[in-house]
Amino acid sequence: MLVTMNGVRLSYGRWPALDKIDMEIRQGEFVVISGASGAGKTSLLRLIWMGDRPDSGIVDVSGFRSDRIRKVELPQLRRKIGIVFQDFRLLHTRTVFDNVALPLQVTGTGNRIVQKRVISLLARMGLSHRRNAFPHELSGGEQQRVAIARAMVAHPVILLADEPTGNLDPEVSMEVVELLLEINRAGTTVVMATHDPRQVPAGKGRFLFLDKGVLRGADRWTELDSDS
Amino acid sequence: MSLVKSALREISLNLHSRPGARLVTLLMVALAFIVFNTFLIISWNLQGIMDREENLVGMEVFLYRGISQAEGRLIGDHISSMQDVKSVYFVSPQEAEALFRADLPGRADLLDVMGTDFRLPASLQIVFETEAISQGRISELSRQIGAIAGVEDAVYGEDYLPGLLKTVTTIRRLVILLGIVLVSSISLVVFYTVRLSVVRRSLTVDIMRTVGAPWWFIRIPFVVEGIFMGVTGSAGGLALAAILSKVLSSAVTHRFMPMSWITLVILLGAVTGTVGALAGSYEKER
Repeated sequence: MLVTMNGVRLSYGRWPALDKIDMEIRQGEFVVISGASGAGKTSLLRLIWMGDRPDSGIVDVSGFRSDRIRKVELPQLRRKIGIVFQDFRLLHTRTVFDNVALPLQVTGTGNRIVQKRVISLLARMGLSHRRNAFPHELSGGEQQRVAIARAMVAHPVILLADEPTGNLDPEVSMEVVELLLEINRAGTTVVMATHDPRQVPAGKGRFLFLDKGVLRGADRWTELDSDS
Repeated sequence: MSLVKSALREISLNLHSRPGARLVTLLMVALAFIVFNTFLIISWNLQGIMDREENLVGMEVFLYRGISQAEGRLIGDHISSMQDVKSVYFVSPQEAEALFRADLPGRADLLDVMGTDFRLPASLQIVFETEAISQGRISELSRQIGAIAGVEDAVYGEDYLPGLLKTVTTIRRLVILLGIVLVSSISLVVFYTVRLSVVRRSLTVDIMRTVGAPWWFIRIPFVVEGIFMGVTGSAGGLALAAILSKVLSSAVTHRFMPMSWITLVILLGAVTGTVGALAGSYEKER
């Protein structure tokens, strides 16, 4: 099991964000977490990359347990995870190439390997011609593809996408979802949080539903998924 | 090695980004330091004045008239071996007469009236160690010296000394107090200015965290930036204070601060800049 959550509860101050979360994600799955704004989707993803620790319960990601992981081990965990955000979070003073290369540079990867991997990934994302551009010179769709490339460049075992289509028009959104499905087909586990699960075609993933911090109807969505 | 290279590259990228914001931060730090440097220049000059005043505090020991020059010098040697005595200078009757005539030219006729046989008494001029100067200690020394055979009288300015020492002590305490307040204020100004400039770039810290950068890799560029801003800002403040000092030198005679104080000012800038940067990056790291 790649991700396991047992009896997880998370609150921000007095406000509960997630409660009684029991969940498992297997290697190679495409998991869609849906729910309204404020339902706790982002909090759930933050628990996976351990941006937050649960108040109670245990989160286990690829052998890193939330109750045991030390601060110095967090970077090791995060190198196994790629993260894509709704607002892209690109460094605006750096080129497309430098943004994508960042996860490799922070691990001390040699320059030749960085060049090779980034150039090949940009080609796969259809961004070769934009490698020297700065983020503000790109369209929303291009920026999100750069963010996905950055998330994928270090070959993560799991890709977390937090409302990756939230700032994009429907046509570009479809392209981004298709890109995520393609990444999943290549073997990477993908967890996508979205307020609109219809973006992912039925049968292409496992659907979970968050309602006010509680994971509901997971079985139903799973059944629906497998029925289809 | 590649990681170190990457870290150096991050430092360079960090220092080259947002020049406008950095300039504003530097100006803030420099302005804060101008106030501090002005205070330091005033204190340094005040210190000089007070030292001079204290060095003037001494004792004049008059010897009996029958005392020979050799005996007088022996008494002088004895006094100079006493604790807290810095120096003793023997003034012979001839030298005392010459000094009298030089210091009080209008009263020289008094000596002439006394006749050719009259001689002023030989005396010893005593200077004390500055740190030993206190009303109680000088009074005690006066008693001890007065009790030495051959000494007629020991005079040390009993009338003005207590007032002078009290004033000097009060001024010194005020300067120290004001110095502590200013060092604290300037540290806070630099700390918060640098911290704010780091916090403004929370996105960079966030991204670095999510891509798995080690903590030191995230912090080092900010620490270098903190040191850079602290040192450059304090040096800028010193340069502006030096210009101000030069401009005012014709109107007010004064000295610029010594090299050791300049070094301390730059060190203060470096330390507060570093701590501010560390605090800012730590805050965003959690």
